[in-house]
Amino acid sequence: MWHHVLFVLVFFLVITPLGFLVLGSFSTASLPTDFSLATMGVVNYVKVYTDPGTYELLNNTLIYVGGSITFGISLSIVLAWLVERTNVPCKILIYSGILTTIAMPGMLQSMAWVLLFSPRIGFVNSVLKGIFNLEQPPINIYSIGGMISIEALRLVPTAFLMLVPLMRSMDPALEEAALVSGASPASTTRKITLRLLAPGLVAVMIYQAISVLEGFEIPGILGLPAGIYVFSTKIYSIVHSATFPPPYGQANALAMAYVAIALITTYFYLRMISRTERYMIVTGKGYRPRLIDLGRWRYPALALGFLYLFFSVILPFAVLVFASFLPYLQTPSMESLKTMTLKNYRMLAEFDDLMLALKNTVIMVVVTATATVILSFFISLVVVRSKFWGRKILDQLAFLPHPLPGMVMALAFVWLFLKLDFLPLYGTIWSICIAFTVSFIAYGTRAMNAAIIQIHKELEEAAYISGARPWRTMLKIFVPLLMPALAGVWLWVILHAVRFAGTPLMLAEGAKNQVLAILIWNMWDWGHIGGVAAIGTLMIIALLMLTLGVRLFGFNRRQEIQVGG
Amino acid sequence: MIRIDNLHMHYRTERGEVHAVRGVSVNVLPGQFYTLLGPSGCGKTSTLRCVAGLEVPNEGEIFIGDELVFSSSKKISIPPYKRDIGMVFQSYAIWPHMTVFENVAFPLREMRRRFSKKEIHEKVLKALAMVQLNDLGDRPAPFLSGGQQQRLALARALVKEPAVLLLDEPLSNLDAKLREETRVEMRELVKRLGITTLYVTHDQLEALTMSDVVAVMSEGRIVQEGSPIEIYQIPRERFVANFIGMANFMEGKVKAVASDGKRSGQVETSSGVLACRIPEGLSVGEKVVIVIRPEDVSLVNSSSASEENVLPAKVKAVIFMGDTLECTVTIGEQQLRMKLHPSSGVKEGSTVHFQIPSQYCRVLQA
Repeated sequence: MWHHVLFVLVFFLVITPLGFLVLGSFSTASLPTDFSLATMGVVNYVKVYTDPGTYELLNNTLIYVGGSITFGISLSIVLAWLVERTNVPCKILIYSGILTTIAMPGMLQSMAWVLLFSPRIGFVNSVLKGIFNLEQPPINIYSIGGMISIEALRLVPTAFLMLVPLMRSMDPALEEAALVSGASPASTTRKITLRLLAPGLVAVMIYQAISVLEGFEIPGILGLPAGIYVFSTKIYSIVHSATFPPPYGQANALAMAYVAIALITTYFYLRMISRTERYMIVTGKGYRPRLIDLGRWRYPALALGFLYLFFSVILPFAVLVFASFLPYLQTPSMESLKTMTLKNYRMLAEFDDLMLALKNTVIMVVVTATATVILSFFISLVVVRSKFWGRKILDQLAFLPHPLPGMVMALAFVWLFLKLDFLPLYGTIWSICIAFTVSFIAYGTRAMNAAIIQIHKELEEAAYISGARPWRTMLKIFVPLLMPALAGVWLWVILHAVRFAGTPLMLAEGAKNQVLAILIWNMWDWGHIGGVAAIGTLMIIALLMLTLGVRLFGFNRRQEIQVGG
Repeated sequence: MIRIDNLHMHYRTERGEVHAVRGVSVNVLPGQFYTLLGPSGCGKTSTLRCVAGLEVPNEGEIFIGDELVFSSSKKISIPPYKRDIGMVFQSYAIWPHMTVFENVAFPLREMRRRFSKKEIHEKVLKALAMVQLNDLGDRPAPFLSGGQQQRLALARALVKEPAVLLLDEPLSNLDAKLREETRVEMRELVKRLGITTLYVTHDQLEALTMSDVVAVMSEGRIVQEGSPIEIYQIPRERFVANFIGMANFMEGKVKAVASDGKRSGQVETSSGVLACRIPEGLSVGEKVVIVIRPEDVSLVNSSSASEENVLPAKVKAVIFMGDTLECTVTIGEQQLRMKLHPSSGVKEGSTVHFQIPSQYCRVLQA
């Protein structure tokens, strides 16, 4: 019987918001609360798609996504190749360094880069201006180029983690066969290595494109102040526009294009994945691929690795730490070092809003992570183990939110919670929990499905034969055996829920519902840079420890691929 | 102790519906060792899993002891955790997150009756001693060898002293030598305990050496049921003769049946006329198959050619197997396999004479 309850629950959680998203795009009522089937029309679509601004938006998004992918993936390929296939020194250091960058939230990274390269306050800009006697600051981070650079750096760790197994699993015999057949090393790389990697590579690119498309924090910090919009920030600014009421319907109409793009790319992604499996360069044999001797390029290659780490973690983190100890913002110098103080940290301790946000954040992430784990566990149990008629549909329902960007899901939930005004959910942290949980069960059920499949069916049956009832079997057999997967998903969700700003910004209302991400966003808006830097420093340290936690819980490669992002 | 009446089970696969069990009826007496034997896909494991309650049949009735645990007509289906059974799985299904002791204690802790800590301790140690694992109680279960895991699974199945023990190919994951020892040990143990046992295997040797009663299954049905000796010596169908042991088949026609009570008679084959005992119900002119076991044939001198069922044969191939010589010979157009003593010195290409005593020529309806 509980199968049916679960099915109805998941159906309601996934389908109703999406239903409102679609219906809302046709609604001509000024508020979601007034929405009715009588007032439907295509006005929103006409407004949005006749606006030339929309096409500029599409163009910006295309450049942003394309640029980030090109630079980010190229860098990832080089790094993964260096670590996996060459004799570059200090491999372990580069490898673990790249993994720690996962702990760096996009929002804080962008803020650090503003401190470095903003035309007005950027340290690097003022130093360069001083050296070369320039009138104008040479670099403007508030630009599409700036957004692309940071996004490219940000996507490296996940792309790297997806590429490493790809390179590792390649049978060196395939390359050796080409060499023996008379091909030169260069033409072997071109005709064999790259050809074999191609399907996997394309899959990684599509996956990353979806993740860039849905990212909100980087275009939010770097694009919004300069009026450069991409899809996610546009939807945010429509809902948060100064006019009252905000044209919610237009946001929905815009989101539909977004949904279409996401669904099409996901379709190709899934097709690509099945093709990768057909290539089957993974043979499961234990071997170390032949390492390429870099010769005198070993140290330049190492330098490249460190340069990446320097720009993606060390420099931004150092800047945040530095700014957190300054009483007011100044360019690094001997004098500025003398003014260093603990004022910002002391201020944090007395900052009531922060304490409240911290409390809310802890509640929000723990509830979200726990709900995601429990829901995913039961869904996967039904999908993998039961003979319930709706198990396939249940699986697809759980996966449906996956390609939909957090911003679109959040918009859908705005509609749902405004409409369900008899439930006191709109604007509360509980609304964030629900929206996040629905977004994360896609990942949660993938991880749990894989883990439950690994548990031999007879282990479960032996418990029944021993007289254990189904719930006792769940408690005594499944839960302990699945502990690594359960803990892994739990930590993964915490790691992600704490850093995403888009969904909380869309859903939470008022000071008493603030979470950390919103607080940082608002403090940044108010120009309270020292405070942001201090919170950011502490947050990165905490996330770093959590990331280590995730790795300690013995995640297998499949799951590792999706950590971060 | 176990009674199955007209059991039917269907299940759905991607390639359509499979009628796995087609009207199986079984009656296992208390203390009996009953074996379901058959090739993979014959429905033996499905039948066992229906008794365990892990599969729900579509039709039929199952009794364990006096309790009706499944009935399609009365809409009764008792779940496995309420049945009085113990089971050993093919994979052993040892829980890797528990110690050896905890694995065995688990069924006791799940029983409705509450045992004290001391009682559990005693019962577990007793069960472990029964399978010679007494010293390994504290060891984490994954650190056991295959043979030890198999014995642990047996201890876990027996610890709560169930009415019925179900064994699903418990020896198939052991290596050959260990399997041979375990066969004997396992039969001795269940016989000593006097527990009713339902055993499933595809290995004829296991079935013959361990069972009181063997039921040979094919395509969801029981083809023949009987003691191991009956099954081997008096197969009633070609399938049974072929599946158990090695068998030669000679096709022919009944030529004559004596009217005396012994029903001795003659069958005409393409290789000559053989004297046989003709079973009831077969009359002159009917098509039959003669089953001849390779070990029932003996080498004779050509001078005894006038005796009963002596046939000349040409030796095509000889394989030395250590304890026997396995020969492939042609008699007329028929090819037969024979087992001879290694000392017989038969050579490839030579012509020899065989005798097949008439009591070993088993006649089946074709």
